[in-house]
Amino acid sequence: MKRFRMAGVLVAVVLAAAASATPALGQSPKSGGTLTLVLREDLAQGFAIHETATISVVWPAMPCLNNLVLFDPLKKVESLDTIIGELAEKWSWQDNYRNLVFFLRKGVKWHDGQPFTSKDVKFTFDMVRGAPDAQARLRINPRKDWYANVEAIEAPDPHTVVFRLKKPQPSLLLMLASGYTPVYAAHVPPANYRTGCVGTGPFKVKEWRKGEFVDYVKNPDYFVKGRPYLDGLRYIVIVERGTRNAALQAGKVDAAFPGETTKTAAEQLKKAVPQLVVTPFSQNVNDNIMMNVKKPPFDNPKVRLAVSHAIDRRALIAAVHQGGAVVGASLAPKPWGFWGLPEKELLGLPGYAAKPADEKARARKVMAEAGFTPEKPLRVEMVTRAIAIYVDMASFVINELKQIGLEATLKQIETAQWHAMATRGDYQIGANLTGIGPDDPDANFLENYGCGSPRNYSQYCSEEVMKMIDRQSQELDGKKRLELVYAIQKKLEADAARPILAWRIDYFTHWPHVKNLVPHQSIYNFGRMQEVWSDK
Amino acid sequence: MKTYVAQRLAIALLTLLGMSVVIFVLLRLAPGDIVDILFSSAGYVNESEKQAIMTELGIDRPYAVQYLEWLRQIVTGDLGKSYRYDLPAWQVIRPLLPVTIELAALAICFSVLFGVPTGVISAVRQDTALDYVLRVISLAGLSMPAFWLGMVIILGLVTWLGWIPPLTYVTPMEDFRLHAVQFLLPALAVGYRSSALIMRITRSALLEVLREDYIRTAWAKGQNGRVVIWRHALKNAMLPVITVIGIEFAFLIGGLVVTETVFNLPGVARFLVQAILWRDYPIVQNLVMFIAIVVILSNLLVDMLYGVLDPRVRYGG
Repeated sequence: MKRFRMAGVLVAVVLAAAASATPALGQSPKSGGTLTLVLREDLAQGFAIHETATISVVWPAMPCLNNLVLFDPLKKVESLDTIIGELAEKWSWQDNYRNLVFFLRKGVKWHDGQPFTSKDVKFTFDMVRGAPDAQARLRINPRKDWYANVEAIEAPDPHTVVFRLKKPQPSLLLMLASGYTPVYAAHVPPANYRTGCVGTGPFKVKEWRKGEFVDYVKNPDYFVKGRPYLDGLRYIVIVERGTRNAALQAGKVDAAFPGETTKTAAEQLKKAVPQLVVTPFSQNVNDNIMMNVKKPPFDNPKVRLAVSHAIDRRALIAAVHQGGAVVGASLAPKPWGFWGLPEKELLGLPGYAAKPADEKARARKVMAEAGFTPEKPLRVEMVTRAIAIYVDMASFVINELKQIGLEATLKQIETAQWHAMATRGDYQIGANLTGIGPDDPDANFLENYGCGSPRNYSQYCSEEVMKMIDRQSQELDGKKRLELVYAIQKKLEADAARPILAWRIDYFTHWPHVKNLVPHQSIYNFGRMQEVWSDK
Repeated sequence: MKTYVAQRLAIALLTLLGMSVVIFVLLRLAPGDIVDILFSSAGYVNESEKQAIMTELGIDRPYAVQYLEWLRQIVTGDLGKSYRYDLPAWQVIRPLLPVTIELAALAICFSVLFGVPTGVISAVRQDTALDYVLRVISLAGLSMPAFWLGMVIILGLVTWLGWIPPLTYVTPMEDFRLHAVQFLLPALAVGYRSSALIMRITRSALLEVLREDYIRTAWAKGQNGRVVIWRHALKNAMLPVITVIGIEFAFLIGGLVVTETVFNLPGVARFLVQAILWRDYPIVQNLVMFIAIVVILSNLLVDMLYGVLDPRVRYGG
């Protein structure tokens, strides 16, 4: 919590640590070699990270690009303490956290030889926040809401950029440190990132053979001396999961795809090849139930509450995830995340009582109050995405709900229709998965619970909660902010806004010769590959 | 003969035109389009942004206009642009063709080389132990899905040898040995099923011919057994076998989806599935048309071969 004790101080300068980052495991890094990684599908939007939210783009595109700041690739924890400079050498909060000033590195070049300047930063973030005078527009802009508090971006000289905020928002820095937040070149049309990549990153794109692989070569002009260690990277597209696992087992690929390896799969791989390294980490993805609060019967808070009481989270984790997930509210709990409610705080919330039978009894009572009994059951249609990991969870939930007099029939929705349907609110109840970029309350609350947010699929809107979200966002005292964040999570669970069922754990697997590839608290933030080296 | 071929080609053109309508309509009947998928990967939907992209891609135009535009593109040799990759469709499709054609050809070669001789042996040694063994082998081939066999091969290799074939396409010029290894295993997995079918057809057709009077006469005249079977009987039993080979080859061009996926081969079928999932209309439409052309041409070729194998066959015209 010391990071917020700086509150009240106008200037907090954090020196970039990228160049002096300590290699993991105490071994001296070796230069050279190529790493082979795996993709589950081809790059959906090329390298255009700003136009997508899928890890299938962020993971293979990150080595080409840089952020202003980034979560330290060598540290598991993502917090203000672990942010290092990339294109920004230093940064400074001014005017009581209303102005964020970045001092940019000098001598940085884009892969096409053009110099990097503050114009590129202003171009990128004006475009991403949808500023009226932005030089370019994104075709799809999923994270515009992240920058709702940015009033203006100024570039007073080629190496200084100022983000002027409407109100203090210390956590803006966390969003800027996400893998979702690279800087684009102002001289390259944003559409070009869908077919190629002009970045400043540690690796240059050598070839993208569609549907097959992406090859990178080391950027010899990279601004961090001595980095990257590797000569190149190859990302191979392997659509079939069994073949992906076989490729990892046979050593044809060096590491798994983030968010892909279940506990069971990791155990099987480890049994077959004992020397494989398995690191459990949070995917920052949760299973949740979305209930349309604008439509009957879930416009009735009692019915929503009954649903939340009815679902035994621990049984779901055991049955659906084979133990490869943890309970938590709307933010990932420690040690997987920083802000989530600890388990003892969860015990008093709907669905978390130690005895599941008690919860079911409560759920039946609440349903009876709402006018539904096992003799006169409530019949609804539950939607879920037509993907196995969604359907498994939905089937479990339907069985739980049946026990309290709520009979749901499952309707599987094609991926092409899923988000459109959810955004329109064209459903009653749904079994859903939600991925969150950085482990930060602002990014999560505004996106998933903010009134009017397109990703607030339940359309839950509480003035009280919005005020609380606003207060925590501006809170400079870390302890107070954490208390506020806990209170918001309790309120969201008590209102059954979008009951959280489990936080998924990934069992990231790689060969022991892969060094410094450290999984973080979120799958979206550790793909830069600058520090990774091969001990082959 | 020339008139017959010309007539068949004219009918083929009409068939392709009908196919184009079916492909176009079916694709539009599938729920969602590329814009829905793009927003899906971004996790939200914005109606005005959606409309702008639809206009950019031209998928907000009336279906009739889109269809005629596609026909115009085919006629002029311009296959349009992939929605997903923002590249000319031909540039995306071209590298896929040799992979699938080679795999299908190898699979067919294997199935013929294995299926026809075993079918003959099985027929000649009818109801012997060898016949039963071969029939069990063929029944197993028909019962085992190629993708399952492919996955078993991959898992077997990785478990026992700690090795699997290359995961990216290796051209024969780069490394002929690796190229051969990369294609032989999937060809075996797919070809086994086809060979089982060919074997059964060969066996039953040959059994029927072997009971013909002219075969009995040949035997009675003391003709060499091999000559009777391979020259007189088999040649006359080949018509249904050739038909099956033609159908199988045409099927394999579009039906290698799972095998290409399991062995990670960048061919037409695997790519087609991805393109369908992305509703990448230009890619899907043109790939399906390509498959339709292969089916029509292989059928035509089979019909031509009938005349070569059986002089009684006359082509009208």
